[in-house]
Amino acid sequence: MTRTNLLMLFAGALITAATVPVGGHHAFGAEFDPDAPIRLQGKVVKLEWVNPHAWIHIEVDKPDGAKEVWMVEGGTPNTLLRRGLTRDTLKHGTELVVDGYQTKDHSLKRANGRDVTFTDGRKMFMGSSGTGAPRDGRDPTEKPVKPPGV
Amino acid sequence: MTRIILGIAVAACAALGAPPLLAGPEATADQAPASIAKPWTLPRTADGKPDLQGSWTNATLTPLERAENTPLSLPKDEVERREQAFRERVSRLAEDSDPDRPAPPKGGDGSTGAAGNVGGYNNFWIDPGDRIAVVNGEYRSSLLTVPASGRVPATTPEARQRAAQRLAARKGMGQYDHPELRPLAERCLMSFGSNAGPPMLPNYFYNNNYQFVQTPDALMILVEMVHDVRVVRIGENLHHSPAHIRSWMGDSIGRWEGDTLVVETTNFHPLQNFRGASEHLKVIERFTRTGPETILYKFEIDDPTTFVEKWGGEVPFNRTEDLIYEYACHEGNYALANVLSGERNREKREADKKKSQQN
Repeated sequence: MTRTNLLMLFAGALITAATVPVGGHHAFGAEFDPDAPIRLQGKVVKLEWVNPHAWIHIEVDKPDGAKEVWMVEGGTPNTLLRRGLTRDTLKHGTELVVDGYQTKDHSLKRANGRDVTFTDGRKMFMGSSGTGAPRDGRDPTEKPVKPPGV
Repeated sequence: MTRIILGIAVAACAALGAPPLLAGPEATADQAPASIAKPWTLPRTADGKPDLQGSWTNATLTPLERAENTPLSLPKDEVERREQAFRERVSRLAEDSDPDRPAPPKGGDGSTGAAGNVGGYNNFWIDPGDRIAVVNGEYRSSLLTVPASGRVPATTPEARQRAAQRLAARKGMGQYDHPELRPLAERCLMSFGSNAGPPMLPNYFYNNNYQFVQTPDALMILVEMVHDVRVVRIGENLHHSPAHIRSWMGDSIGRWEGDTLVVETTNFHPLQNFRGASEHLKVIERFTRTGPETILYKFEIDDPTTFVEKWGGEVPFNRTEDLIYEYACHEGNYALANVLSGERNREKREADKKKSQQN
């Protein structure tokens, strides 16, 4: 296959992608299995504060008493950093409740975090900057919040 | 009063030669009295050109396209209704959940869109912009202004035939069969939507931030998603690269028309086919400082081999004091591997099932 044909082939794949509305940086529908819903409850053991998406690692108890670590996918940390939240905001050992869907690769203990809350139901982070709306720099009463160390 | 409205008010006062209402965007009622306020003057670089530098955001509630039979200009009460509805939605999504909630339904949670029916993640990760766009003092129902319908024009028969040929060329290959069949954003190569563009459009999701650095012969545009950098060459009598040299964001050359920087971009990479555009795509952008807090960004899409007519729009770029962070996409891109290994794992499960049925 020539290089031109290959490019056309890949461009064709993108046509399909370009016609759907934006719903996420990565196609969660391609990554997670709708037939593998899960509910996880466990303590935070690691937080990967990375792009494109943050990953929260939690240790959960299996029915047989053994423990296993699940990775839960969130969004970009940049947005939370601008609100003054850092990876240190979520302490290791914090207990979370997560519901989502496991990756299509069932050999991985990974899932999307549709809803990540504390054990009393509160959301893990609150998306508020006073009005409840995300910051966009246009409100003169909003001052930039710089995270520690910056 | 929001910064954006204030900026427009100050700019309008400056244009009319009248004293502005307040000292500047940072002023509040209990600060500088109006009597000592200075009119806004267009900031200029050392070489006398308008200074476009700084950090900007094009996040907005205004959609790219307009609902049918809606005027371009929105009345104030409708703007308030839409912005209030957005704030209420944010509050609603921040409410507590049932801590004893079960796992979501098998077969999918019914959500629609690109994320598929497995949902996404909590709203606190999202930052799409919470205000209706304002251009020339007018609240806008769409970013598109041309054609008058505010809708992207139909594609040509040639474009549809091209799309069909592309689909036919990939017959027999699954969408998960090769990493290069995955979208550019998933591969961390380009921003999703048309954040980097050109045209540079909001993604209605998050990180709609840009940094501009300007010299007499170049404008550097850093796009937060996904840390893309475009360098616009500026000067008279510049020529585009030869037709066979193609880059992700094309080849951009700019010239000053009065106080507006006009940028023409061609030579787009074949995989960066904006809304199905062809190799003949030409994008014209116009950058004009309209106030202390605003650049008016106009764009025009010209590709007669793809669209039945030219189209374009106007997007306010508002100054942001927030920090822009590196978006080191490859650093933690588990998703691409998950997508591909997911399909291999599914194939294995199916093969194992078939095998056990045969035994």
